[in-house]
Amino acid sequence: MWKWIRFPLLFLLAMILQTTLAKWLRFFDWGPDFIVIFVVLIAFRRGPIVGALWGFFAGFTLDVYAPVEWLGANTIAYLCLGYAVGLLEARFLSLNIAMRVVILGLGFFLVDFIYFFIVSTSKQFSFLSFLSTSLPECLYTMFIGALVFKLLFKGSLQNKR
Amino acid sequence: MLKIVRTIQSLLSIRHGFFLFLFLLFLALLMQKSSLTIKESVVSKALSSVFFPGQLFLSSISDFHKKTAENERLKKENAELLMELYHVKEGIRELPRLHQLVHFDNQWPYSIVTARVVGRNPGRFLTTLVINRGSLDGLAKDMPVFFMKGLVGKTSQVQAKHSTVQLLLDPNIKISIMIKRSRMVGFMESVHGHLLSATIPSNAGAKIGDTVITSGLGGIFPKGIEIGVIENIRKSDLEVMRYMDIKPFQEFSLLEEVFVMQKEPDWVVQELLN
Repeated sequence: MWKWIRFPLLFLLAMILQTTLAKWLRFFDWGPDFIVIFVVLIAFRRGPIVGALWGFFAGFTLDVYAPVEWLGANTIAYLCLGYAVGLLEARFLSLNIAMRVVILGLGFFLVDFIYFFIVSTSKQFSFLSFLSTSLPECLYTMFIGALVFKLLFKGSLQNKR
Repeated sequence: MLKIVRTIQSLLSIRHGFFLFLFLLFLALLMQKSSLTIKESVVSKALSSVFFPGQLFLSSISDFHKKTAENERLKKENAELLMELYHVKEGIRELPRLHQLVHFDNQWPYSIVTARVVGRNPGRFLTTLVINRGSLDGLAKDMPVFFMKGLVGKTSQVQAKHSTVQLLLDPNIKISIMIKRSRMVGFMESVHGHLLSATIPSNAGAKIGDTVITSGLGGIFPKGIEIGVIENIRKSDLEVMRYMDIKPFQEFSLLEEVFVMQKEPDWVVQELLN
């Protein structure tokens, strides 16, 4: 039973954190992205397929609450994130926490890049403004992600050894 | 059945993962490139079915946060309003007192200085007060001090910016008094620093409940300032005199402000003092 409900519960928790805690943790208008952390976490745990499925679902959830014209942008971005991270985990089974945090950062950039690229197709895509918004939030998400990974992967890494 | 499960399992294997990814990507792109009407339909269907319970749950959490913030704001507002209300009530409470003061001021042919009580004598019995007005405000020694309900005492020491008021309860003060009803004159002094006792002729016809006022004799207090009521009548050693316990109108321990009448002692008293 627990096996079936733990990811939906984790997703719900991520959504709650994103709608509450992320707002309170905002610093200079930069906040962490708990949904990215969730998708990356699932992909690390269960590989590219489950990662892609949860990425699709998480992205679609975000799209439902985003402006309707951009429907699909988050879905594509998070789907790619889940699949890509899952592939990396499948290739390199013994990733340490530091590497996982770096992958989380890269994943964050990937999501933002795809999202901004899709939503700004009609306008001029500014790489500089994209970087100035994404970089601080990426670092913040990496910091929060490091704490989450340390908490969740500590036991599993010890078991592997 | 088993075959179907195995087929799904094989579909979900790493080898087929790429095809699943492509399929999902195709779905997502289809959504992205579809017309606005289809997009709106997808969103509204998703919101009314899959996401409805979650949305309800998340909005309740968000509402809770908003209500907490609103509660804080309202608490602060409430505190400010309570403070304003307190000031308004205080102002309303002060209004009759100020009205009385205006009438009181007009009653006497002397100027009246309002002073705030800034100190009291620290002993068990209250005999002196310190007020925040002094010679710079036109005060001098032996000026009558009173408040709304009646006589309080007189100034005993005057400095530049503050003065000491000798209360009626001070055993060193003696006042010439008069029974308001019978106009009979006597004198009043403090007994043991906490009781006011008057000595009045037996034939004065004084009764319990009679009002006692200043007689105007003695040169310090003008005639007619109310002091208190007779609470008890006792026999004295002399058959011709009666002792009377006076309950002052003014509660001395509650005084926060007093009025000082700018009345210099009469020339007779000044000569006696000199």
